[in-house]
Amino acid sequence: MTEFEPKIVAFVCNWCTYAGADLTGTSRIKYATNVKIIRFPCTGRIDFMLLLKAFGEGADGIIVSGCHPNDCHYTSGNFHARRRWIMFRGLLDMLGIDVRRIQYSWVSAAEGAKWADIVNTTVNAIRDLGPYTDYAKVAGYLEKEAEV
Amino acid sequence: MNELIKKAAELLESNVVQIVIGYGKGSAERTRTIFITEASGCDQLIFDSRCIQNLAVYLTKAEIKKLGKPAIVAPVPVLRSILQLASENQLTEDGLVVLGVTPESTLIEFESFAAIETYLASHKIEIDEKYQKIIEGIKSMPVEERFAYWVKELEPCFKCYACRAACPLCYCTRCTVENNQPQWIKSASHPLGNLEWHVMRAMHHAGRCTDCDACYEACPMGIPIHLLTKSMLQDVTENFGPYGPSLNKDNTLSSFKPEDKESFIK
Amino acid sequence: MPEFSGILFLSTSLLTVKPSCMSKIGVFICHCGENISATVDVVKVAEEAGKLEGVAFSTDYKYMCSDPGQTLIKQAIKDKGLTGVVVAACSPRMHEPTFRKACAEAGLNPYMCEMSNLREHCSWVHDKSDATTQKAIDLVRTLVEKVKHNKPLYNIKVPVTKTALVIGGGIAGIQASLDIANAGHKVVLIEKDPSIGGHMSQLSETFPTLDCSQCILTPRMVEVAQHPNITLLTYAELEKLEGFIGNFKATIRKKAKSIDEKLCTGCGLCTTKCPTKKIPSEFNTGLGFRPAIYVPFPQAVPNKPVIDKLNCQYYLKGKCKVCEKLCPTGAIRFDQEDELVEMEVGAVVAATGFNVMEPSGFPEYGYGKYKDVITGLQFERLASASGPTLGEIRRPSDGKIPQKIVFIACAGSRDPAKGIPYCSKICCMYTAKHAMLYQHKVHGGESYIFYMDIRAGGKNYEEFTRRAIVEDEVNYIRGRVSKVYEENGKLIVKGVDTLLNAKPVEIEADMVVLASAAIANPGSEELAQRMHISYDAYNFFSEAHPKLKPVETNTAGIFLAGACQAPKDIPETVSQASGAAAKVAILFSQNELSREPVVAVVNRSPAPLYSTCVGCFMCATACPYQAISEKLITDRKGNVIKRVAKVNPGLCQGCGTCVAFCRSKSIDIDGYSNEQMYSEVMALLNND
Repeated sequence: MTEFEPKIVAFVCNWCTYAGADLTGTSRIKYATNVKIIRFPCTGRIDFMLLLKAFGEGADGIIVSGCHPNDCHYTSGNFHARRRWIMFRGLLDMLGIDVRRIQYSWVSAAEGAKWADIVNTTVNAIRDLGPYTDYAKVAGYLEKEAEV
Repeated sequence: MNELIKKAAELLESNVVQIVIGYGKGSAERTRTIFITEASGCDQLIFDSRCIQNLAVYLTKAEIKKLGKPAIVAPVPVLRSILQLASENQLTEDGLVVLGVTPESTLIEFESFAAIETYLASHKIEIDEKYQKIIEGIKSMPVEERFAYWVKELEPCFKCYACRAACPLCYCTRCTVENNQPQWIKSASHPLGNLEWHVMRAMHHAGRCTDCDACYEACPMGIPIHLLTKSMLQDVTENFGPYGPSLNKDNTLSSFKPEDKESFIK
Repeated sequence: MPEFSGILFLSTSLLTVKPSCMSKIGVFICHCGENISATVDVVKVAEEAGKLEGVAFSTDYKYMCSDPGQTLIKQAIKDKGLTGVVVAACSPRMHEPTFRKACAEAGLNPYMCEMSNLREHCSWVHDKSDATTQKAIDLVRTLVEKVKHNKPLYNIKVPVTKTALVIGGGIAGIQASLDIANAGHKVVLIEKDPSIGGHMSQLSETFPTLDCSQCILTPRMVEVAQHPNITLLTYAELEKLEGFIGNFKATIRKKAKSIDEKLCTGCGLCTTKCPTKKIPSEFNTGLGFRPAIYVPFPQAVPNKPVIDKLNCQYYLKGKCKVCEKLCPTGAIRFDQEDELVEMEVGAVVAATGFNVMEPSGFPEYGYGKYKDVITGLQFERLASASGPTLGEIRRPSDGKIPQKIVFIACAGSRDPAKGIPYCSKICCMYTAKHAMLYQHKVHGGESYIFYMDIRAGGKNYEEFTRRAIVEDEVNYIRGRVSKVYEENGKLIVKGVDTLLNAKPVEIEADMVVLASAAIANPGSEELAQRMHISYDAYNFFSEAHPKLKPVETNTAGIFLAGACQAPKDIPETVSQASGAAAKVAILFSQNELSREPVVAVVNRSPAPLYSTCVGCFMCATACPYQAISEKLITDRKGNVIKRVAKVNPGLCQGCGTCVAFCRSKSIDIDGYSNEQMYSEVMALLNND
């Protein structure tokens, strides 16, 4: 049986984390292939429904990352994002959606090494948690119905 | 009670308002919302502990707005919704007359939204102990069990959106669920669609919900969706301080403090 | 009983045609020499991309950004009629503008071109493997799906009013105004005090040259007053600022001077005859006096008096009016009102300067308790030839010349416990200067400076402080002062010399000068809020980027000059002011501003809906740029049908926070729209 390789989507902001990930690349620091980045102008733009959609489409883990507080290119997008994540995380926790599968972080454009670290730690953590079968079962309900 | 009837009749008689929204006798032992357009009809108005519907939901409906300026019978839950709607630019002070009622059926006339806010300062939102215990109980379950619990609880949901129709704060002309480009939430009744709908509903109420329980009362399947909004309410209080509708304070989600604390961001 | 039709259903398009049928996307995979191809099978990626629905052309090439590479793209656009382009290569932060320009040259709207990062985010961080190639395939597929929902966008043009508003008439404001005016643009310079000049006009000599401060400043002040392009408004403050870059509307409050400036000749007769003579002079830092009708200092520009309403006998008690009786031109206007003036400007320069802290928060130094404990700025006035003592260093208490003088550096700065952890930058230099001036004026006098460090980093600064020690024999003691108290008419200063192993030092001084902290002006917080610019915890205005954008703020069109941003000396202030002026000149160099069109838009549709926006304005509260305002939708008679939100594309910076907030999804952002981001998420995880 092939070892489980988690599928992880990263929602990152253009000015800090995306640039930080670029720096990881220029510094040739290696990390796991499981994480794929989607670029947003700001963490403030990240709609919580997209995170839910990611789980629904088979993601086993999610990384959400942006500029450190006070450093947002647009002044306050990350502050709004932070409040949104606090509420969203609380709600997911209440519903039993595994919040350990979502890693939030602040990675600046200078923190190339930190990005690699976040990726590797998250991949390992998700690998330990295993595939997100509970959610996949709920999400795959329609396909199962169609098979019948 | 007589005061209320008298005042309502007076308002209609003098054409200050064109419609009175209040509670009246329903079927069996229940009450229902009544809409009175003639002064003579005002003696249908009642008020007692059975009156739990949140009348504020009608204030944003186009069909009611067309009828003219309303007077609305407002116990505390309705007052909270009115204040929240006012802070969200949906109501104007001269666009309605608020007839506050105490549980003893005494009439309180409110001259302004600020007066409502002052009154509500002594009627802060507090989650009932019994619900606190239930929420605690759910949160103490291990994650997988919790998830299974909610998937099962949400199973009877058949996407009637009665919860949306009953909530005074769901006044959007086009709900996200009606968006099909992209289709954010599948509209059919199945576990994923149900989960997504209720997550979205709860998130859209974060920092706004005034804990009136209208959503739960409206649900034909008796799903305890108000537990989700109550749990969000607890989160808001815990993380951002005491909470209630206000004209002066910015909405919880659309404002921030640089010192907001969280423990889970690396 | 009214019927409830429920919630309106809106169909955004009657024909739900799948976008891919109409897409002809070109995918170009770059080898980047060997940077990508060494770990990613680029040929396979191009192959797999070619199989995607909607992709009309897919190829790989060694160097996409090179001339032949770009030609390849342009040719494909023309030959295949491509409607969108995905270049899978290095980071878009590197070459997105390059490829967008190439597309534009081939006739394809540049915003139909996206880049997929296969280098920094893939080939450079992973080893060669199937998983790496698969990741590259996934990343390309994601951007292809995004591009299917891209819309052609056109740069936004915003007109520019070529008048600058400079707030603050100190050396920073003066320099900025002169530079902008000399560049050929109109300037309005407002100053809250009756005269321009700022703190520099209070200085006697400047370091490191010991130039007479007034001598180098006053010619500039006169130039400002006489410059045809500069409108000088003194005794005026900013009341309100609305609008956005290139199109501000400023409301200025011209405080009532009680003088008709057109009639006043500046003869000064009124100031000599005013019966209220003993008002502590602000210009002389409280060490001298002025009358109620006054000119702040002899070289004031404009050299016309104002009446201090708080202290004038007429305004307080309705009496006197001597000045009115004596004025030869009849220029006195009692009961003149403040005037509010509105003006249109294209840029604002904030040059409001700093203040010197009153060290009364340090009871150990005895400021406020002992008359002979003064601040550095007060010493400056004593040393100044036009000061209260005409340039002689004299004790405020008895007027005697001090024979021993102690200077205490860092009196307030670098003290986290007292709320000012930063260094005020200029004190080491001016304390050395003060000691030198004292030694020059009082031969045989002894001066001591208690210091923590000597910060003399500018050009000729180190040599200057050395001069103080070597030539003028100023005694530098490295240590702090614990207490200053009075005994037998002397000020006992108890300190320590850490270079002599913390040996206690006690000096019987005649005068103590405290180099107190440089702080923000009172009212800075309110002014920053009025201008909608950011400020830090100390109320200094925030620059857009500490390294690369020191003269801009996060609010487009508002620039910073001088000590209002952080304590600094005169050469730095002048440089920064010229820098701000250059930024303004850049802004004014075009008649129209062209901006990237990645902005938010509130949806609009035909009657009777007009928009799905319900006017809750949560988006407006979240916008950091005040780009969202109210729009009233009215019928032909002018009755309001609906209140909706509207985004000003000139102000919107494209962060998208409003989009994530909107509950009804009525606001969207071109370039990162809901459809685009949704399709990216879907495509990333589905490889079928």
